[in-house]
Amino acid sequence: MVDGIEGDKGEKAGITRRRFTLGVLIASAAGALGSLFAMLKVLVPEKKGGGYVTTIQPGDRLVYAKGGNMGALLQASSFNVGDAVLAFPSGKSSNPANLVQVIKLEEAEFKPPIHLDLTDRGFVAYSAICTHLGCTVSWVKNEKAPAASFTECFCHNSIFDPARGAKVMGGPAPIPLAQIGVKVADDGTLVFTSDFTGPIGPQVS
Amino acid sequence: MSIFTWFDERLELKKFKAKFLVKTFPTHPTFLLGEMALFSFITLVVTGLFLGFLYEPSTKMVSLFGAMVPSAYASVVKIDILPVGMIIRRVHHWSAMLMIAAVLTHLMRIYFTSAYRKPREINWLVGLGLLGMAMVAAFTGYLLPYSQFSVTATSIAYYVAKSMPWVGDWVSRLLFAGEFPSEGTVPRFFFMHVMLIPAVLIGLISLHLLIIVKQKHTEPRSNKNRKEAQGGRRLIGIPIWPEQGVISLSFYLFLLFVVVLMATYIPLNPIETYGPPSPGTPVMRPDWYFLPVYGFLKLIPGDLSFSVLGGKITPETIGGVIFPGLLFLVAALIPFLDQWKEPQYYIANPLHRPFMTSLGAGAGVFLCMTAVAGYIDVLHISPGRMTGYAILATLAAWSVTYTLLRRYNRKRGNNVKT
Repeated sequence: MVDGIEGDKGEKAGITRRRFTLGVLIASAAGALGSLFAMLKVLVPEKKGGGYVTTIQPGDRLVYAKGGNMGALLQASSFNVGDAVLAFPSGKSSNPANLVQVIKLEEAEFKPPIHLDLTDRGFVAYSAICTHLGCTVSWVKNEKAPAASFTECFCHNSIFDPARGAKVMGGPAPIPLAQIGVKVADDGTLVFTSDFTGPIGPQVS
Repeated sequence: MSIFTWFDERLELKKFKAKFLVKTFPTHPTFLLGEMALFSFITLVVTGLFLGFLYEPSTKMVSLFGAMVPSAYASVVKIDILPVGMIIRRVHHWSAMLMIAAVLTHLMRIYFTSAYRKPREINWLVGLGLLGMAMVAAFTGYLLPYSQFSVTATSIAYYVAKSMPWVGDWVSRLLFAGEFPSEGTVPRFFFMHVMLIPAVLIGLISLHLLIIVKQKHTEPRSNKNRKEAQGGRRLIGIPIWPEQGVISLSFYLFLLFVVVLMATYIPLNPIETYGPPSPGTPVMRPDWYFLPVYGFLKLIPGDLSFSVLGGKITPETIGGVIFPGLLFLVAALIPFLDQWKEPQYYIANPLHRPFMTSLGAGAGVFLCMTAVAGYIDVLHISPGRMTGYAILATLAAWSVTYTLLRRYNRKRGNNVKT
């Protein structure tokens, strides 16, 4: 008999046709899956450095990030206590890591752990990228008590206290928003004076 | 010679009719929920074809009425301007919601009537796969108009994926084609949304239906006595054609009518209001079927993170990956925990199954409460208090349902084990 079970039994190599075929199948399947995995790796773009990397330099002037004045220099005289705007360093608005929230409060309201030396005449600035999942934070202004205004991320309601170094007052944000130094220049515009005091962007890994 | 005879001589249509179109469909109003999901899917494919002809999957900046906006956004604005464009886009979006709603209620029907029991465990799993894929399809569709809403929602999902221990970095770059927002993300999501996921959905739907044809539909309990009286094992119901076919067709046309009516009068995902991506995140909530995950992310304390085997488990992973993953895992295990030796051909009365019914009620209330947690900002409830409410409501729903059903069955003298 040439084919079939009888032939299998007759083989002397100690391996049946069935086992041999199964082995070939498993080996080729492993090879095919392995090559698929290699192809999958091609689909993953190289890491670019990743995350939020700021390009703010001390001395950069602040400009409005949105609204009718977008791109215009911030003027200290246009702020009342309890006001806040989103701002970019002039000419560097294409990098979302550069987005900051500039807030004007009563200087007497500032309490630790705020970096007092990074504030000027009630002006304080923080990264505007929520440390939870990267949404842009908003300003919740209290019209009756401007000093009681606060910063909130509308995505998952993390609340930050601007007078206390953007300490997390509620919600899922793991760490405060990083502070960055600002001062009022001689011509009344606002200028960055330092780098961020801590990590910016979502703290997910 | 009529046209029918011409085809019949070649394709043996009469034989086909005798073999397949006389298959029996047991009747019950809730047996139409699965069809509702299937019909919504058909609407999605047809409206998707229309949108696909006009949509541009690219984030290159182009001029639209004098403003520079991503071309994906511009192409959707142009669709909205077309005479029926906005209605078609809304029909697409409403149908997506309707499909997920139909899949969910279909799943509830199967669960509460215990129709997942032996021999239908496999189809229960296929159905869960369909629910998952439908949600992935909806999610990848969020990004395509590339509005402020799209980018915020996708960005949140990107960081949730990235937060996963060990594989997060790799998986997020694979799915989002690099670090979001990258110029590769929209083309990749477009491909997944119009090609990959629909292909998987069609495959799973076919498998789902094939298994039903093979195993036959579960029957209402009222069929049992009639059948025993007849002394037969044949299914009692109506044939696919013409009875069931006509019911299904008119049901689909009615659904289409309702969806088109809603699309015409109720605004949905108004991308012109959201605008193209810009700094600043307005108050926005996901579509209702993502509310439990969205709400859960709000409830988890930010400092709840720990390390296992060198990987850091963050609150984002717990809320965005582990929580929905566990829901699906528990659901997948149900037919294997509720094991039966004999095959079950009839749907069960939920009132006669206090244990399973009360568990389902508890799970339903839990999901509703996590969805409500998505609104703690407007309800002015703190996350801690909301967590307490959610746990209390879940336990209450479960224990009250269980107690009431036990009493109901004891009064009636029913012999109920679980």
